[in-house]
Amino acid sequence: MLSDMAKTSEAQERYFKSLEGEFGRCRELAGRARSRGFDPQLEVEVPSANDLAERVEVLMGIPGLAPHIRKCEEKMSREEASLQVAADIAEGLVGRFDTKADAIQCAVRTAAAIITEGVVAAPLEGISQVSIAKNDDGTEYIKIYFAGPIRSAGGTAEALSVLAADYVRRKVGLAPYKPRPDVVERYVEEIALYKSIQHLQYTPTDEEIRLIVRNLPVCVDGEPTEDEEVQGYRDVTGVDTNRVRGGIALVIAEGLILKAPKVKKHVDKLKFDGWEFLDKVIAGSKPADESHDEKVKPKDKFLVDLIAGRPVFGHPSRAGGFRLRYGRGRNTGFAAAGIHPASMVIMDDFIATGTQLKVERPGKAAAMVPVDSVDGPTVRLMNGDVLYIGTVDQARAIKKDVSGILDNGEILINYGDFLENNHILMPSPYVLEWWEQDLALATKEKVQVRSAGEAFDVSEKYGVPLHPKYTLMWKDVSTEDILQLREHVVKTGRLEDGLRMPVEPRSKRTLELLLLPHEVRSGAVILDADRAALLVRCLGLNPDLSPKEADVSGLDPLDAVSKMSGVTIKDRALSRIGARMGRPEKSKMREMKPPVHVLFPVGDAGGNRRSLEDAAAFTRNMNDRAGLIEVEMGRRKCPGCGAVTFRNRCDCGAHTLPYYGCPDCKIDNITGACPKCGKPATPNVRMKVDLKGLYAEALENLGERGNYEILKGVQGLISSEMTPEPLEKGVLRAKHGVYMFKDGTVRYDLSDVPLTHFKPREIGLSLEKLKQLGYEKDVYGRPPESGEQVFELKVQDIVLSHDCSTYLIKTAGFIDDLLEKFYGLPRYYNVSSEEELIGHLVIGLAPHTSAGVLGRILGFTGASAGYAHPFFHAAKRRNCDGDEDCVMLLMDGLINFSRSYLPDRRGGKMDAPLVLSMRIDPKEVDKESHNVDVMARYPREFYLATLEYKSPKDLEKMMDLVSRRLGTPAQYEGFMFTNDTGDIAAGPTNSAYKTLGSMEDKLKAQLELGRRLRAVDEKDVAERVINSHFLPDLIGNLRAFSTQQMRCVKCGARYRRPPLCGTCPKCGGRVILTVHEGAVTKYMEVSINIAREYGVSSYTLQRLELLDLSIKSLFENDKSKQVILSDFM
Amino acid sequence: MDGIEIVKALASKGYMVEPDALDALGRDPDPGILDRLVSGLDPSALTVTRDDVARSLRAGNIAEQTARKPALRILSDITNNSTCIGDYDEFVGYFRDRYGRLGDMMRHRISARPIESIKKKGFSRGEKSEVAVIGMVSDVRDTANGNRLVELEDRTGSMGVLISKDKDFFDSPLLLDEVVGVSGTVKEGGLLMASGVIYPDVPNTNVPRRSDEPAAVALISDVHIGSNTFLEDPWMRFIDWLNGDSDAHHDLASRLKYVVVAGDMVDGIGVYPGQEKELHIADVYDQYRKAAEYFDQFPRHLKIVIAPGNHDAVRQAEPQPALPEEVRRMFRHPNVTFAGNPSAVEMEGVRLLIYHGRSLDDLVSNLPGASYSKPEKAMAELLKRRHLSPIYGGKVMIAPEAKDHFVIDPLPDIMHSGHVHTVGVCRYRGVTLVNSGTWQSQTDFQKRMNIQPDPARIPIVDLQNGDVKIVDFGE
Repeated sequence: MLSDMAKTSEAQERYFKSLEGEFGRCRELAGRARSRGFDPQLEVEVPSANDLAERVEVLMGIPGLAPHIRKCEEKMSREEASLQVAADIAEGLVGRFDTKADAIQCAVRTAAAIITEGVVAAPLEGISQVSIAKNDDGTEYIKIYFAGPIRSAGGTAEALSVLAADYVRRKVGLAPYKPRPDVVERYVEEIALYKSIQHLQYTPTDEEIRLIVRNLPVCVDGEPTEDEEVQGYRDVTGVDTNRVRGGIALVIAEGLILKAPKVKKHVDKLKFDGWEFLDKVIAGSKPADESHDEKVKPKDKFLVDLIAGRPVFGHPSRAGGFRLRYGRGRNTGFAAAGIHPASMVIMDDFIATGTQLKVERPGKAAAMVPVDSVDGPTVRLMNGDVLYIGTVDQARAIKKDVSGILDNGEILINYGDFLENNHILMPSPYVLEWWEQDLALATKEKVQVRSAGEAFDVSEKYGVPLHPKYTLMWKDVSTEDILQLREHVVKTGRLEDGLRMPVEPRSKRTLELLLLPHEVRSGAVILDADRAALLVRCLGLNPDLSPKEADVSGLDPLDAVSKMSGVTIKDRALSRIGARMGRPEKSKMREMKPPVHVLFPVGDAGGNRRSLEDAAAFTRNMNDRAGLIEVEMGRRKCPGCGAVTFRNRCDCGAHTLPYYGCPDCKIDNITGACPKCGKPATPNVRMKVDLKGLYAEALENLGERGNYEILKGVQGLISSEMTPEPLEKGVLRAKHGVYMFKDGTVRYDLSDVPLTHFKPREIGLSLEKLKQLGYEKDVYGRPPESGEQVFELKVQDIVLSHDCSTYLIKTAGFIDDLLEKFYGLPRYYNVSSEEELIGHLVIGLAPHTSAGVLGRILGFTGASAGYAHPFFHAAKRRNCDGDEDCVMLLMDGLINFSRSYLPDRRGGKMDAPLVLSMRIDPKEVDKESHNVDVMARYPREFYLATLEYKSPKDLEKMMDLVSRRLGTPAQYEGFMFTNDTGDIAAGPTNSAYKTLGSMEDKLKAQLELGRRLRAVDEKDVAERVINSHFLPDLIGNLRAFSTQQMRCVKCGARYRRPPLCGTCPKCGGRVILTVHEGAVTKYMEVSINIAREYGVSSYTLQRLELLDLSIKSLFENDKSKQVILSDFM
Repeated sequence: MDGIEIVKALASKGYMVEPDALDALGRDPDPGILDRLVSGLDPSALTVTRDDVARSLRAGNIAEQTARKPALRILSDITNNSTCIGDYDEFVGYFRDRYGRLGDMMRHRISARPIESIKKKGFSRGEKSEVAVIGMVSDVRDTANGNRLVELEDRTGSMGVLISKDKDFFDSPLLLDEVVGVSGTVKEGGLLMASGVIYPDVPNTNVPRRSDEPAAVALISDVHIGSNTFLEDPWMRFIDWLNGDSDAHHDLASRLKYVVVAGDMVDGIGVYPGQEKELHIADVYDQYRKAAEYFDQFPRHLKIVIAPGNHDAVRQAEPQPALPEEVRRMFRHPNVTFAGNPSAVEMEGVRLLIYHGRSLDDLVSNLPGASYSKPEKAMAELLKRRHLSPIYGGKVMIAPEAKDHFVIDPLPDIMHSGHVHTVGVCRYRGVTLVNSGTWQSQTDFQKRMNIQPDPARIPIVDLQNGDVKIVDFGE
């Protein structure tokens, strides 16, 4: 295809071809394995797709859909195309349907699928049904049923699928929906109730809900998703259930209200009537972009729902917190921000690569990565010294002596993140990049600034502001503070090897707030010579400390020091970003709960541990045959010899097929409904299985002896045809110590972090391998010569964690054994080291989605996170604000994945590789990645614009964004970054949150860090932790205790209330409580302690005391109050 | 005014007067007494009796009335009797107590045959002749054919009971964890085909106790002092009325001897998320201090009973003990009695059952036809089951006490609840059921929940006949 050629350079095309070539080899081998007939299907079940249209076609299962989508996409935007395709389906241009409702359902789903790039399962799982119902006046309207998984489609797709439904409605000529008043009120009650049970991004007002429901031309209905029932508007005509329908809450609150401006845009374009109410919604709900008078207001939303053990690093916009610096590191952007690794260490190791921070702005959250070219922290030590920390080693060395963290250091946030969040630009501090451009305007000469003296000379000579390195935080002190310091220096300062003056509280504090490093020795503050020169000059003193004439009364601090020093001095901390820890970073193998080696049912015979070996030796009675267990599985029939079995491959060698019947009426070989009882036919029956024999056979087939601690099966199968896996797979998984996921694959989860450039050394990649993998030139066009050179990352190459490599090596061993011993094919991986794993292909797959992305392993780091190109993350519909997802080995997916294993329930198709994207087309990935800026330097005009709080949209033209490169080879190559970093895995490997033991230890560390951080009010932290974590926990557990279920320790049966006979009616086992006193009281003491210690509000303290009273009343007997020893004396 | 004039005056209002009554009125009665007499008379009566005169005389002299101490005693209450420490055996014991006591109420009423144990050996083979069992409901399901399948349990085990949709008792709902008696035949496999279901219920023969003396009790609840939606003006009108400073229903005020508060006297703190934004007084003890101030203005002769609800400063798990000592000592009114929730009290020989009414939430969600606008209907269903809170695991949090305090035994003459903020009054087999409304205007929460509160209306029960009058203190 010609158009494709134009989008990629030759080198890029070679890269894609090499991935495809390797994929082809894997697929061929996997196909041979599959053809042996041991698996549910004879073919590989992960179809590959080349573009969005193909993915949607595979997802929707409508042949001929892909070309149609491509045609529409050529002419219009994604959203418009989705509406057009929907209309075409409804009108019968594509696909064939039995009823009008079926056609509409498919149309709406397809629209949602196109908007979500054919990646998420939400269109299938989240739009469960469409039906046609009648208004009171007899006209017909459309009802769309939304289910829980619609959440993963995101607000825009939720809202636009409603719009698509209305578009379709008009095309097929149905009437608008006219809800009755009580139905409207039902929505109001229900959405509020949903909010109290589940999370909603936005809580709509009652009026907003009424406005939406009254005016929507189609009916947003839903399946019940929660157990809770509405209390007020029950049994309302036209609503099928009294239970809470999560889908309606999501679609109305997070979709239609939050995305009203987006919907409005399309409504206007399509000239729809009946959607005028959106104007009121937009006017009424909180504006997405802040208005100008709100521009500098601190926002404390990120502090809501503070959790114990996850520290606050800065209260909203407070001095001492992270200082905003604009720019993009090679490992930042796309909702990941950079901080100095020394800052990570100084924050008691609470921040590591990939740790999510909830931030004040521009977005809600961001993943943290180390960038050592931004400022590190400034601390005060126990002895009074103030120190700037520039390296990790230094941070570790002095950490114990820190008495206060005066400044967190800088946080690097790129312009693109402001654009993506449509957040007005906050004023930029005066940074080196800016100063250099100021200087370049004044002179072409190369100048050097190695000392304060030189800095002033340059400023005087060229009329540029003082060099940022010599710029102190003048705005954080008052002009009076400066004058007091000046006077103190004049009166008491002595010049000997710098500046020496007696410690005096106010002037000492001023120096601290200015972040001017100094020492304190025998009662004197000592500044080294260079800093002394800087201070003397800024304070308007002569070199002999005598004061120059300068009247600065009435001036703000910056003007005052500018006037006194005689050069322009700018500010280095204009915007501070409040932050607190969100989620810890993740790098962990995926396990089901409880963990599973093989999808083979063992029922109760496997005990609590679901041990297959225990089940193989199980007898219920003395005269039972050991290992003969009864389990429910799907029957299959051999087309060759006619035998009925549960196995995929008949003893005669043929591949079997599911065999449906009605087990109640004992009728076989039927499809659809049973002719006798009307129930749907099923292949699933309870059958006796000789597990002992099967297990022995499996071991023999493999030549294995079962040298592992345990082989875990499942209690029962939950797929629709209850197809079990061959036991051999479990034996080999157990042998290699890998666990599986519900779909048959072995996975490893990692936090998402972005990477656009790498150094071979930091990811453990040899130059030889580097060249092998097609990296021919570094970012400056030089051939590979050193591990320290910077290379531009190819879009489908990924960098994983060391821990991940260990697990993948085990998995590769399992696959090789499987190929050799089970399928009788050659081994494929043969890897025993990390190095050997490099270059192999993986599937990247995010939760809630059903499209995997082909990736190639490029290297490993010590960080507990997965570095990949922003496009790779975007292809999975992830960004880097704390999301995580998984990788699996390509061969594992191709051989072991089967749709037949997926749970037969709502959401079962999520998180499964139903289709594999072969090649990333930036145009067809999540649009958020188009806002990544890729320039080497932000222009001076940008910095000036930030001072005026400009909207990021106004600056789009001067910034080099991915969006401007789309459709050309430049979309893959030629990216740059503004800030380099020494090592993308510098700083702590794991957050202290993960390494600290008990919740109390974490809480202590959290409050202790709060005490030390200048930007944090630890009393507020204590109060918030109590209010948002401990109190709800206490109340919830107290309630749970008094309404709790009971459980049998022997058979695990659960009872809504204790059985009257006391013991388990099923097995006679001992029944126990499921909520214990300990669970209720665990946070009581610590809550009251910190409430008193940190002096929280009396309201909060009183609530705690009342709860304490409640707990005592429940757990202490009035008649035998505890007696203490003194009562007897 | 001589005798003839008195006769004439009464005749003009349509009454004749008995000679004894005329004597009692005396030669020269205060015209005020005459007015009170007339206003206190039954409009359908023809003659004025000596008793009528005596009543109006007493009403005219409150001091004289208080000299006669009305009898008030607490019959049952958890306060200082809580033995629960929260272990599994207590939960079992709690439900066994319920099963035992409610079962005993029915034991002689199901059938002439002895009651069978549910786990009887022969049941699995089926039993043709009719059997009777008593069991606690552990599950209720509708079958595919529209019948109802109930799981019943006793101390020996459990069994399935099928209630066919064409039985006349199919429509009377079964609640989880209530105790019922079922008669029927047992199918092979052990399924009981119900031919009759009975509830513990109130005996048809129930005759309520009545006071010998004229006396009335004002039933209030859900005052929510401290909330910014507390209706202080109507509340002050109520206090004025109690003090005789109001003309309306003066007779009723004069007969009033008791005031009962069935919980939620204050709004409390931390009862629901974000409550601090809706509080006028943010300190729970200050709320009680304010309450004590109000009650201090009640006439001295009134006897006041105060029980807690889910907004009060006692444990949320029911049964709830009376308010703690530090709250109690704030009340300086000489005649305040603090009781638990639930509690049974006797006044003038009439038995009153006080229960705040948390379980009404569960009933509204689980009982077809029950609603917040008609709380008395749900109360009648509770009385029929002789249990204040049958459903376990719902809105009501329980403390597993040795005795099930929710069992309604002995039978009350008046049952008083609140919680739902609507006034409802009815009689069920002689028992007067009252839900006493609220002193709080509609909150945002109630608006969403479609609850229309009925504020500032007080049901007043005449202890001599169980009749209820509602006095409105709203605008």
